[in-house]
Amino acid sequence: MRLRVGGFAVAAVAAWFLPYGLDLYGIHVIDIAIVFALLAVGLGLAMGVAGQINLAQVAFFGVSSYAVAILTTRAGFGFWTAAVLALLAATLVGVLVGIPALRMQSHYLGIVTLGLALAFTNWVTNSTVTGGADGISGIPVPPLFGIDLSSEYLYYYLELVVFGLALAFAGFVAHTGLGRRMRAMRDDSLAAGAVGAPVPILRMTAFVLASLYGGVAGVLYAGLIRYVAPETFSIANMFLLLAMVIIGGRQSILGCVVGAVALALLREALVDFSVYAQLGFGIVVVLMVVFAPTGLAGIPARLRRLVRRRRTSDHRATLRPFRPEPAGGPDRVGASLEISGISKQFRGLRALDDVSMSVAPGEIRGVVGPNGSGKTTLFNIVTGIYGVSSGSASVDGRVVTGRRPHQLSQLGLARTFQNLRLFGQMTVRDNVLVALDRSSMLAVWRYLLWPVGIWRAERDLRARADDLLERFGLTDFAEAAPTSLPYGIQRRLEIARAMATQPRLLLLDEPAAGLNGQEVGQLGEIVRAIRADGVTVVLIEHNMGLVMSLCDRVTVLASGGVIADGTPAEVAVRPEVIEAYLGDSMNTADIAAEVESEAVR
Amino acid sequence: MEVFFQTLVGGLGFGAVYALVAMGFSIVYRTMGLVNFAHGQVVMIGAYAASTFYMTAHVPFFISIPVAMVVTGLIGLVIERVLRPLENKDFDLMLIGTIGFGMVLESLATIIWGATGHAVPSPVDTEPLDVFGIRIRTYSIVVLAVAALATVALVLFLQRTKRGAAMQAVAMDHEAATAVGIHVGRSNAVAFAIGAGLAALAGALVAPMLYVNPTLGGSLGIKGFAAAILGGFGNIPGAVVGGLAIGVLDSYAAGRFQAYSELVVFLVFTVIIMIKPTGLFGERTVNRA
Amino acid sequence: MPRTATARLLLCATALAVATAGACSAPGSDSSSQESSDGPFKIAVVNAQSGQLSSLGQWEWKGAKLAADEWNAKGGIDGRTIELELFDDQGDPTVGTNIARKLSSEGFVAMIGTAESAVTVAMIPILRQAKIPNITSGQSPAIAEAGSPYAFYNGPTSNTYDESLARYLVDDKGHRKIALISNNGSYGKGERDAFTSALADRGITPVDDQVVTTDQKDFSAALTSIRQKAPDVLFVGAEEVAAGLIVKQARELGITATIAGAAPMGTPVYLETAGVTNAEGTVVSSPYLSNDTDEASRAFAEAYQRAHGEEAEMHGAKAYDGANIVFTALESSNGAGGAELAEAIRGTEYDGLLGDFDFDESGVGIHETSIGVITAGKLTAEPAS
Repeated sequence: MRLRVGGFAVAAVAAWFLPYGLDLYGIHVIDIAIVFALLAVGLGLAMGVAGQINLAQVAFFGVSSYAVAILTTRAGFGFWTAAVLALLAATLVGVLVGIPALRMQSHYLGIVTLGLALAFTNWVTNSTVTGGADGISGIPVPPLFGIDLSSEYLYYYLELVVFGLALAFAGFVAHTGLGRRMRAMRDDSLAAGAVGAPVPILRMTAFVLASLYGGVAGVLYAGLIRYVAPETFSIANMFLLLAMVIIGGRQSILGCVVGAVALALLREALVDFSVYAQLGFGIVVVLMVVFAPTGLAGIPARLRRLVRRRRTSDHRATLRPFRPEPAGGPDRVGASLEISGISKQFRGLRALDDVSMSVAPGEIRGVVGPNGSGKTTLFNIVTGIYGVSSGSASVDGRVVTGRRPHQLSQLGLARTFQNLRLFGQMTVRDNVLVALDRSSMLAVWRYLLWPVGIWRAERDLRARADDLLERFGLTDFAEAAPTSLPYGIQRRLEIARAMATQPRLLLLDEPAAGLNGQEVGQLGEIVRAIRADGVTVVLIEHNMGLVMSLCDRVTVLASGGVIADGTPAEVAVRPEVIEAYLGDSMNTADIAAEVESEAVR
Repeated sequence: MEVFFQTLVGGLGFGAVYALVAMGFSIVYRTMGLVNFAHGQVVMIGAYAASTFYMTAHVPFFISIPVAMVVTGLIGLVIERVLRPLENKDFDLMLIGTIGFGMVLESLATIIWGATGHAVPSPVDTEPLDVFGIRIRTYSIVVLAVAALATVALVLFLQRTKRGAAMQAVAMDHEAATAVGIHVGRSNAVAFAIGAGLAALAGALVAPMLYVNPTLGGSLGIKGFAAAILGGFGNIPGAVVGGLAIGVLDSYAAGRFQAYSELVVFLVFTVIIMIKPTGLFGERTVNRA
Repeated sequence: MPRTATARLLLCATALAVATAGACSAPGSDSSSQESSDGPFKIAVVNAQSGQLSSLGQWEWKGAKLAADEWNAKGGIDGRTIELELFDDQGDPTVGTNIARKLSSEGFVAMIGTAESAVTVAMIPILRQAKIPNITSGQSPAIAEAGSPYAFYNGPTSNTYDESLARYLVDDKGHRKIALISNNGSYGKGERDAFTSALADRGITPVDDQVVTTDQKDFSAALTSIRQKAPDVLFVGAEEVAAGLIVKQARELGITATIAGAAPMGTPVYLETAGVTNAEGTVVSSPYLSNDTDEASRAFAEAYQRAHGEEAEMHGAKAYDGANIVFTALESSNGAGGAELAEAIRGTEYDGLLGDFDFDESGVGIHETSIGVITAGKLTAEPAS
């Protein structure tokens, strides 16, 4: 940390004295590079941090440049008034371009944003208000307390200050709650929703941030070049920007800056060989994607990991035992779950057919049934991932069907997933932090107006995260990447993450899958402790031993319907259950006996 | 009325080309879930390869096409091989990787053939047909016929041959396909080669209609991709319908909105995709939940 | 902890104060490049060498290079050689501004180019500040509107081209049913505006006025609408390739009207793209019809062929003229650059390949074009009326 602060200080001082070593040409190139760096930071926030493919960054840039040009030359506004309005315009366009992200992701979003960027270029080329293909010249020099900003040296300092602030803000966003939620969404949007991250709003936020940075870059560009034309906002420049972000490392804000500055300077150095430069950029992008997906910024971490792997085989991190101490007050009681008449249709396939069940507060309920009987579908409906075809579910009397996963998380619902959905590119601590963060998205205003508040909340969250990791025996792995951990630890982490949301109803989807005997035993303890803590637990499980020993009641599903409901001992001896579950090839008497012995235990 | 039909005819002529481009996108996507953003540039290389061979070696045009298909097929294999380590891991990264390949192909074309480009004389040099005052270019009929043949051949290949069936299986569930002994990597490579071959076909056919230069691929690629998504990504009949639809939409927008046509086309496209994200005929792709 | 934080803050503040104090002596005040009074004259050619307009850029470079080689062979300007350097603006205005700064830092005395108006307009303020005269081959009025005394055109503007064309088509040939098709690029828009106003001066409203985009491929809708109006003349305002595609499709749709347009329609690229049969009879307004109009053009074409191994065409000739004007002006200014050079250029009366250059206030030197008609794949001059 201290090293980093020192690095920044050195960089800042170097940046301050840089112009003294440069001629007018040099400073102009640097001024342009800073504009690109701002654009790259915005793109990095959207693509690297939030995982939203955004090929419209040049359009945000263009909207704001053009807005400044139009407002100053045609409407007679002052430069800074125009600049503020231009930022608003860019942000508004950011919201509009972000809307498709609510419905589609990945390549769909890629083509849509690319298409919208083309639509923008098409509009500015045609409209008379934008000067058509000739563009708009004569943008005034921005006035600033008598400082002559037509000098590109002084303009550099303006850019430097703006850039410094923008960079600090981006870093602040990326490393606190908002950025963490966006990264969680990037790694796994379903799981992010399930731990309470409001995915739709976060997607919009990503585009708003990208457009804000595009807007700032556009204002600076307009003030620097004082002329705008459609060619500046071409797709070729969009791809150049993309290359900057990928080569620099999209997940790291500093990486984006390094990539942008490096490529802007390189492009200038190779201006006489532009075709070869383009060839080189293309090759480097391909190589980066294959061999160093985290870009230049990721290389130090990769090296460090390499060194560490060689060195530290003696120090073993260990999974410590779970500490069953109640975190909530003793008066906490779990929520009840009432499912009435739910049916779910998938393109003619009836996955659930009139399923009803009711789970009492504080109960541990098992849901069993053969593969394809609709158990996970039921969970997905209760947690808001699927809608219902008919019927409803309610928690503590509040209807939960038809709500979004993050809203349900706020209502006290938490879940784990059948095939583990951890945030793979975040540390174990961050996985837990995302879930601990219960702040509403309405509080993002504080990022702009009261960053200290964010900082305090952050410190508090970190302390609580350490407590939680301690309780689940995961302290040794706090800085590890979840995917590098043994399966059993990942399972436990997922439960810890779910518990971090302080739920009153916890849904566990096959929590024992892939665990060894000892781990299954520990799981049983954990679940009992969770219940004792005032949480109702519903679990889907194939490990009948666990179900029989742990659950108060068991519901059996088969081909989309409930075929039995009762205590484990009652259910296990029903012939239809045994038939559905095991087929008639097995000796039912044997099973019944085994089940009975499990139940006694 | 005359304008209506003439615009339709013009739109269909280019729509057939978009359909071929879209099919190339779709065959790759359905098999391996990859969007090849370099596809437009492969089309451009195909156009260059076919037209250079046609004009310098003086062979009949329809012989130069298979040559171009071999060239682009090899490029397709190279792209697939290089990006293979990312398969089934990170689709966004693969997508960006293909954008990188697009940059490489475009600058290679500039280095090899120069930035200027060349016009290609039409191989079918007869007067346009006149049907009730609607003029139909004979070459457009040829393009439509070739596109139809290519579609039929592709569908037959997927349904009737062993390799095609294997690719269908990979498309449905690549783990299960591996389990029954299908070589997934080879299926992907074949898909990529076919996609690139289709690109060459599209490029060769479009060459005499346009002017061949290194930037030819950009807009063909984007429109072709939009067509594939519009029809339902990965869906072969959908790609054909989507291609024709984009061609016709493009033409009508040009007639109605003149220079603002591009704006209108992409806004309409965005709205359709937002209403029906899986396209008109539904998405077909690898199962990668 | 709080104590160290305060200390750090103090440290930062001190550093900042020192830095601010340093910044007060503004950096780079000694930046203006001093012109050396001996050594070669550095002249820049700035043009796109990649992308859509690169063919123009390459022709221009060849034309300017030929002029420079000829001068150097004769012993340069006052015994000093001419050093021509090529810069690739990539058709991007931002890159253009970088190059403009570079020219001023590295002591270039003049610049030839660019062929793309947007890039030129972006560069003009910097060139003006650095006092570097610039002869552009663009023809958009936006360049003149920038109002820089350092910007000159090496050819006629769209107004001149289209005035000549309208005079020929309307006054001489008596056509009155005229349709327009143009694209929305800088060039096409300029052509459309200029031709429309030339027609308006003659009291003619076009029977149809279609605008297409620069990368449109199918023109059926626009052309069918034009065909229904059955015009005598179809004016095409677009660059070489786009014009070729439009004319090709127009003929395929059965439009038999006379095709007319400005300089791009006289180039081999247009001829190839449209096809020789389709281009037959195209009326072209151009200051440089062919390599065979007079003694000067024949000599130029021969030298060009020898130097570059290909046939000369108009853009090479324009750049050749532009370069010659700069060199002549440098000679008459006794090697002085800046404002003196700009004045010298304005005062240069030069008998060039494109005609007699005589610059006016807006930097336009050529005020006349000739009319040619494509016959059997060759552009031949129409006798002046």
